[in-house]
Amino acid sequence: MLSFLMPARRGSGLGMALPALVLLLAFFVVPVTLLLTRSVTEPQPGLQNYETLLGSATYLRVFGNTFLVSGTVTLVTALIAFPVAWLLAITTPRLAGILFGIILLSMWTNLLARTYAWMVLLQQTGLINRMLMAVGVIDQPLQLTNNLIGVTIGMVYIMLPFMILPLYGVIRKIDPAILQAAALCGASKGQALRRVLLPLAAPGIASGALMVFVMSLGYFVTPALLGGTSNMMLAELIVQQVQSLVNWGMGAAAAFILLVVTLILYALQLRLFAGRGV
Amino acid sequence: MLMNFDKLGTWRWVLAGIAVLMALFLLLPIVFIVALSFGDSRWLIFPPPGWTMRWYHELFADPRWLQSAWTSARIAVVVMVLSVILGLLASFALVRGQFRGRAVLRAFFLTPMILPVVIIAVALYAFFLRIGLNGTFTGFVAAHLIVALPFSIIAITGALKTFDPAIEDAAILCGAHPWEARARVTLPAISHGVFSAAIFSFLISWDEVVLAIFMASPTLQTLPVRVWTTLRQDLTPVIAAASTLLVLLTVVLMIVAALIRKGKSR
Amino acid sequence: MSYLHINGIRKVFGDVVATDHVELEIAQGEFMTFLGPSGSGKSTTLYIVAGFQDPTAGDIRLRGQSILNIPSHKRNIGMVFQRYTLFPHLSVAENVAFPLRVRRMNRAEIDDKVRRALALVRLDGLGERMPAKMSGGQQQRVALARALVYDPPVLLMDEPLSALDKKLREEIQHEIRRIHQETGVTILYVTHDQEEALRLSDRIAVFNQGKIEQVGTGPQLYASPATRFVADFVGDSAFLSGQVQDMTGTGATLRFADGTMLRDLPLHGAGRPGGAADLMLRPERIDLTPGRGREGASLPVTVEDVTFLGNSSTISARTPWGEVLAVRLTFGHPLLGQVRRGDRLTVQWQAQDAHAFARD
Ligand SMILES: Nc1ncnc2c1ncn2[C@@H]1O[C@H](COP(=O)(O)OP(=O)(O)O)[C@@H](O)[C@H]1O
Ligand SMILES: [Mg+2]
Repeated sequence: MLSFLMPARRGSGLGMALPALVLLLAFFVVPVTLLLTRSVTEPQPGLQNYETLLGSATYLRVFGNTFLVSGTVTLVTALIAFPVAWLLAITTPRLAGILFGIILLSMWTNLLARTYAWMVLLQQTGLINRMLMAVGVIDQPLQLTNNLIGVTIGMVYIMLPFMILPLYGVIRKIDPAILQAAALCGASKGQALRRVLLPLAAPGIASGALMVFVMSLGYFVTPALLGGTSNMMLAELIVQQVQSLVNWGMGAAAAFILLVVTLILYALQLRLFAGRGV
Repeated sequence: MLMNFDKLGTWRWVLAGIAVLMALFLLLPIVFIVALSFGDSRWLIFPPPGWTMRWYHELFADPRWLQSAWTSARIAVVVMVLSVILGLLASFALVRGQFRGRAVLRAFFLTPMILPVVIIAVALYAFFLRIGLNGTFTGFVAAHLIVALPFSIIAITGALKTFDPAIEDAAILCGAHPWEARARVTLPAISHGVFSAAIFSFLISWDEVVLAIFMASPTLQTLPVRVWTTLRQDLTPVIAAASTLLVLLTVVLMIVAALIRKGKSR
Repeated sequence: MSYLHINGIRKVFGDVVATDHVELEIAQGEFMTFLGPSGSGKSTTLYIVAGFQDPTAGDIRLRGQSILNIPSHKRNIGMVFQRYTLFPHLSVAENVAFPLRVRRMNRAEIDDKVRRALALVRLDGLGERMPAKMSGGQQQRVALARALVYDPPVLLMDEPLSALDKKLREEIQHEIRRIHQETGVTILYVTHDQEEALRLSDRIAVFNQGKIEQVGTGPQLYASPATRFVADFVGDSAFLSGQVQDMTGTGATLRFADGTMLRDLPLHGAGRPGGAADLMLRPERIDLTPGRGREGASLPVTVEDVTFLGNSSTISARTPWGEVLAVRLTFGHPLLGQVRRGDRLTVQWQAQDAHAFARD
């Protein structure tokens, strides 16, 4: 009766994938397909939802915000993550263990808890503004929340681990002898960094950057809480269209664009890093 | 040279400085929240004028907080169990299966992890409205299971790949029924992967916000949904108290996970 | 009636024929070895006996009864694998007890049998160890104890020593011989190492491309190989290529490139006058002499090279038509230490040590 669950010794084993397959078809493929079809059927059949989305300045600004924030977040996390991953790869196991503990703790702490902390820290009367004023860098509190600055800070915080971990994986595998050889060839530290270490770490940087960029594009929680209503990102637009405006056609069209961009970047990542185990 | 910390000269201090700053950056919100939850300023002045347990009392006095925590826990446990069972079966198919297109199937199983949750949330919301699962326990579980399963599959296939199937063959020749061999030999040998899958799945469901916002009804709210709706009204320190308890839970689970890893390399 | 009958087994994977008409009768208590190069179908045959694979055609009979319809876990067969297959989460004693546990034996009986099995493989007192803390040799001994603890009618061993270094391998080969003698269990043993096969086996089945080329005791395979493949695989040998001149009742006449003829050679395989055939000579079965040599069983040669190996010397000798064969001179041979490069000597042999194999 349960023969589809039998061990794969003689059968193909496909049967054991069946429960997960059915679940995904029923609660993932079907709903997403149904949603996407609504982008060309509501309110009337046609491509007018896409025309509106890609043709009006308001919506183009949302795309602009999304790419701007995602790009900035990717760049900033890469700049911080490279030295940190490098240090992790060469420092003592003890110190690396402590740093990893901190990274994993921040990564696994409840997302809302972390975002809440940044909302409080970054508000006008918050710790950051008061410290900056106390030091004398500024004399008026800066507007750090309800805009893209707050979103960027909050997202850098969230994305850092996703950049550090793949980079660490790549740098750790670099044979120190290669850099010793570079030094013996007469390369200064700067030259060895630019011509040997960075190129060798490039796959890790690219992989981490793609991952962070893709994740940022579709992020909802942080932009919704730290951003303002005037500076929306794509995920917020989708939710707004569906929840507040009950405009399923537009929401679905925006979702479809997000989905296509995500899948293209994901395919790129798979192609670039196939077989590298990154 | 660049791969030897002691030979880095002045660069050592640059690297160490950046790492320390990053560590402070990562720790700041977490430490800040814990401190805030004991501070007696309703306006979240920091450092607070005095210390208090008031926010914790408020948190536990409001039955809605406890109720939503209980809802979260029930959903997370069911998701954890189902995610591990489905993940185990799927992993056996992916690692040991003999059929064509295994790589494609694997990529398919992992897509819910790659797609922005907001798309899945909106799609499921529309779908559940249609079939009447919105605001139900089943709906919640199904939604969270979709996003937890990829992590479960990754953890279990990772463990299963390093386990030689000849060991299972040996158990069968020793007289164990194929199912008994799996239960008594393979499963214990990949238990670290199964435990990781369980912890990941639990935490993913427990912490999940976006799907939950769409799945929730006034009578069925998870903890993140309650935090979310409260946050949108005001930044009350009660949230800091709730967040502190969540941080505590994370720390406990991380320690458990670390102990499991240690036990595995025993 | 044989004890274990491997009856015309054929196994096809897609378009690969892994084994073809493998036919063997094995007596109770016999140590039978499958010897052959990698990919020749040895493991496949073993897996079919174990029940991990179903044959495309043929039957496996134990005491006259087909066992093909019995699932692996009910066949009661013991097996030691090439890779280490101890259950990693169980101690040594728990590993050995596993087959008894699944058979629902009582505690006391299990403890007793485990103790005796560990004593048999000389691992007394190591029962509490975890597998990860043991050497490869120790792990394979535990695997052997685990496979024997339930007194299986047949023990299968698939290259169990191939991951070990040479010294350890020889040590455990000794142990396996002793255990075979002590227990009297019927063993099917797979190896690609001819020395191991010769050292351990009662009989050897030589596998080549899915087929059995010859079955026999070590001395039989060595002294009268049935095919060129067996001659090449078992023991050292040189092959001199010639042409069949004619065939009579007493044997074939081979003609070599410079016109040299050798008569009355036993010819194996389907030879025909005019067809190509090789003369096989083993280095340790030929002699070197300064004189004229035995009539009809000798060749004049020129010494090419001399390699001194402690208790013996190997000499490369060139025939008049330019092929090279090796001659081994053992300690005590009058010419040992006398032979120089360029010397003109004669190799000679006993008539029964020369074999000719027709090329197909
Ligand atoms: N599961 C399988 N699927 C396809 N081909 C196989 C399988 N098992 C063995 N073969 C093929 O059958 C032949 C015999 O293999 P095997 O019995 O393992 O050889 P041996 O043990 O002598 O090295 C080889 O050509 C091998 O590639
Ligand atoms: Mg083999």
